[in-house]
Amino acid sequence: MSENLYKNTEMMNRLDEFLPDIQKPARYIGGEPGSVIKDKSAVDVRFAFCFPDTYEIGMSHLGMKILYGLKNRVPNYWCERVFMPLPDMEEEMRKRGIPLYALESLDPIKEFDFIGFTIQYELCYTTILEMLDLAGLPVLAKDREALTPIVMGGGPCVCNAEPLCDFFDLFVIGEGEEVNLELMRLMEQCKKDNSPRSEFLRKASQIEGVYVPSLYDVEYNADGTVKSITAKDGAPESVKKRVIRDFDKVYAPENFVVPFCDIVHNRAVVEVLRGCIRGCRFCQAGFIYRPFREKKKETVIAQTKALCENTGYDEVSLSSLSTSDFKDIEGLLSGLTEYTTENGINLSLPSLRVDRFSDEMFQKITDVRKSGLTFAPEAGSQRLRDVINKNITENDVMQSVKIAFEGGYTAVKLYFMMGLPTETDRDIEGIYDLAKSVIEQFYANPDRKKGKAPSVSVSLSTFIPKPFTPFEFEPQAGEEEIRAKQKHLMEYAADRKITISRSKYDVSLLEAVLARGDRRVGQAVYLAWKKGCKLDGWDEYFDFGKWREAFSECGLEMSFYANRRREYDELPPWGHINMLVSREFLINENKKAHEGIPTKNCREQCSNCGVSQNIGGEICRAIG
Amino acid sequence: MPLVNTRLFFSKTGRAKYISHLDLSGVMQRAIRRAKLPVWYTEGYNPRLYTNFMLPLSLGQEGLREALDIRLIEEFPHLEVTKRLNIALPPDIRLLETAVPVYKNTDIAFAEYEITADIDREKFTKFLESEKIITEKKTKKGVSEIDLKPHLTVISVGEKIALRLPAGTDLNINPRLVFDAYGAQSGEVIKNIRIVRTGILCADGGEFK
Repeated sequence: MSENLYKNTEMMNRLDEFLPDIQKPARYIGGEPGSVIKDKSAVDVRFAFCFPDTYEIGMSHLGMKILYGLKNRVPNYWCERVFMPLPDMEEEMRKRGIPLYALESLDPIKEFDFIGFTIQYELCYTTILEMLDLAGLPVLAKDREALTPIVMGGGPCVCNAEPLCDFFDLFVIGEGEEVNLELMRLMEQCKKDNSPRSEFLRKASQIEGVYVPSLYDVEYNADGTVKSITAKDGAPESVKKRVIRDFDKVYAPENFVVPFCDIVHNRAVVEVLRGCIRGCRFCQAGFIYRPFREKKKETVIAQTKALCENTGYDEVSLSSLSTSDFKDIEGLLSGLTEYTTENGINLSLPSLRVDRFSDEMFQKITDVRKSGLTFAPEAGSQRLRDVINKNITENDVMQSVKIAFEGGYTAVKLYFMMGLPTETDRDIEGIYDLAKSVIEQFYANPDRKKGKAPSVSVSLSTFIPKPFTPFEFEPQAGEEEIRAKQKHLMEYAADRKITISRSKYDVSLLEAVLARGDRRVGQAVYLAWKKGCKLDGWDEYFDFGKWREAFSECGLEMSFYANRRREYDELPPWGHINMLVSREFLINENKKAHEGIPTKNCREQCSNCGVSQNIGGEICRAIG
Repeated sequence: MPLVNTRLFFSKTGRAKYISHLDLSGVMQRAIRRAKLPVWYTEGYNPRLYTNFMLPLSLGQEGLREALDIRLIEEFPHLEVTKRLNIALPPDIRLLETAVPVYKNTDIAFAEYEITADIDREKFTKFLESEKIITEKKTKKGVSEIDLKPHLTVISVGEKIALRLPAGTDLNINPRLVFDAYGAQSGEVIKNIRIVRTGILCADGGEFK
């Protein structure tokens, strides 16, 4: 070990003064196995990777681990982790004048060159502002004048980053593995040349996948819709999403920072594929992560082994949007279980689709350890499942449930959405009917454990229309409508073995507003934060009243963003962002939805979504 | 093949003092797995890597020589265990020695501590000399009153305050209690308290081995 590894004794001493009185202090101190400490004098570019939520949530996120490892592989770059402290910690920090610091060096992040946020869900927007403020930085981009720090954002939400444009200097659209390093190289050069911030941003906007919002002017029509989006200073008219062309060869971490305390997903995670062949019409991930690409079976197995050995984890999970769509899934699982079983490692497989849930595969996952079973039929009737293109039948669900019950499971969780386009009371009743059939399936099993009752929990969320989906044109159902539907279901449902839980409407409404908001919504985000909103994703901190005030104070209607049907020819706020899926395709899919016509999955037949036309046909590996 | 009981002595200082006792077992188990040691797993439906900590250490306190038992499924060089674990462990947990256990954890009777804190040494010395030091102690059954005086051995009061207190399965007294009692009595707000457990001892005052 080098003698020059950086140690911030002064900050450590300041923290020691009060950390023993903070809840779960291990979250705020770093020093975990796998964390990277460097010789600060040999580092040229420093990156503070911020996850705008708690340590337990952020440390469970695979994307952060990938980019952390990737950047730290470069000897003169240093990437560190930053999370949102909970109120007890934040209060002490503010009281003592301790600014937000990074966990590796314990240095204040305002000294860094980049402050990069991964933006995974809309309800973290105010937390981003809170973190910038706690760091001692102006939250508005226009008030930051020096070359560094550059505040950047990436992740699924930035496909419509407009509500965040006031706060960020740039966004990375698409996959970050290459762009992040390109931006760091640019910064290395700009620091040497003593370039002004404006020059860095102008040069950054020339990198494919980089969106510099200050280089775009937005005009509005009298009715509040967007009239035009105009690029300036040589920025591209349309920012094209970045895609890793050779996914099998892309950097994957062979080690993680292994936390001291428990976190949400405390295990090794290996990514097996990107993109999704399914095209469920409500699902943003299903469109924005295209094209479909897989790693080689051997690559996944080798990465699993390396990761388990280096972290010491005894649990590994495979990550993707739909792991069962891996072409040679049976071969992959055989290869993996050979290693995991021998080494006492528990293999967990989230996101399995019911229609590929075969007997054999079931055996493989239950060989190791049984966990709960979750299915997401999303809609209660076949008609509505066709509308949303969730191409599974009741028979598929029953088959899977049957296998599950025969395998000794007694509890099944079913996920549904309410407020889907074209939904009627009959579809709502279908939710209960399906749950009821699952119960009946249990009793139809002659070998069932006597004296054991099945339990089915139905989880209802409210449909949220998202950009770059065929439903981006759809209105979100209003509060009264959702209440009426919920009431109808509760009256219709009688079986006590079925428990029904509902999500809060306010939360879904805010998500819908932020997801499809324009630049003016940034003002409301700012005001809500000023009023004290932060950690909105947490029930105990969410305060919808403040949000409502914020919107009305800046003269914006939430319903304009959430509950209005958008015409096909309306220019959306994200009109200058190219996620590779064509607008024609989305419009066509929307029309098919209203006609109740499903679209074949990408493996059965290419639906010409536009991705291949945009980046070349050889990248998408859905077929062949 | 008989199992080989093995005792690991380690220090837990710096950042590692914020690892709770519950979390420490996970930290140790993963380090042992990374070190690829031939360790014994418990039998049963969910086999677990066997670890047995001799004496819990409170969150926020440092330990210079803590002890943990594992079982090896074969004879394995102690120096190699130490070396591999030091590579696998985080920088603020150091493996000091791997040894054959001499005593049982029930033989533990005392622990010694070194404490630094911003307190008035003169007043504190007077306090330690009082006839009784009554304070509240939380137990599994609830809160009860206890007189610390008969249990407390003051080794020295200088820049550092060195104390010996009962430890182990029968009676375990956290040195923090002494300072809480002092704070309550004197009205002094105790700042910058740093507690380091320097050693674990048997009933005869000898080192726990």
